[in-house]
Amino acid sequence: MAARVLQHCVRTLRLSSGPLALRAAVVPAAPLHRALSFYSADRRTRCVNRFPSLDVLCRQYGHLPPLTLESIEERVLYVLKLYDKINPEKLQATSHFMKDLGLDSLDQVEIIMAMEDEFGFEIPDGEAEKLMTPDEIVQYIADKKDIYE
Amino acid sequence: MTASTRRTVLSLYMRVFRIARNWQAQIGVVGDIETEKKYILHEASTLFRQNQQLTDPETIKRCVEECEARIEMGLHYRNPYPRAMHLPPLGLATQKGRKLRAQQRLRKQAKPVYLQSHDDS
Repeated sequence: MAARVLQHCVRTLRLSSGPLALRAAVVPAAPLHRALSFYSADRRTRCVNRFPSLDVLCRQYGHLPPLTLESIEERVLYVLKLYDKINPEKLQATSHFMKDLGLDSLDQVEIIMAMEDEFGFEIPDGEAEKLMTPDEIVQYIADKKDIYE
Repeated sequence: MTASTRRTVLSLYMRVFRIARNWQAQIGVVGDIETEKKYILHEASTLFRQNQQLTDPETIKRCVEECEARIEMGLHYRNPYPRAMHLPPLGLATQKGRKLRAQQRLRKQAKPVYLQSHDDS
């Protein structure tokens, strides 16, 4: 708790000293007004001395790491390996679910559902029934998430 | 099985999965939600696979209706288990063997649509 207050103080003090007024960082500091006034007196000089090289003012957002084609393919193959009806040795990126792996359409629906859970977005029915190999799934997800090589 | 029935069946299957994903049980212990989710998934996969090989369009239509009925009832009552069925009057077998077939016919007639795939003998 004290560490977080400190962090906020450092950020707001550095930002308020900079030429740009970044309101985004000031807003979360509003509930910490009391703490700010308490800490600012003794922290100000200390902050300036400890972080002289931190001249880059940047906003911090919380978001997932960017997806790449390799990471998508890795995750898709990982999920497929965890599926109990698939033999992990026979699984490759181009193996067809029905012809090579011997699954039926109900299994394919289950696999698509697992992919939806993994990547967190919904795949509509009409397109889901066309995805028959891991490669196609990777292509589809890359299309949906606008990821290029 | 024509392409349209196939698509209906697969979209029903997907619908059941999506329902299971967002399932909120009625007021009870938190562990109930997980048990009910697992039950829904298990039930769906067993029943769908059990009826996978049917080719008669009438039976297929009845199974589709059964699935939809169970989905609606499950969502309405917040209870995924099939609703119990009352025995029709004079529906249980007596000592005499002759009445057995009549009993069976009565029971079969009284069986609601959402219990079609369940086999109680």
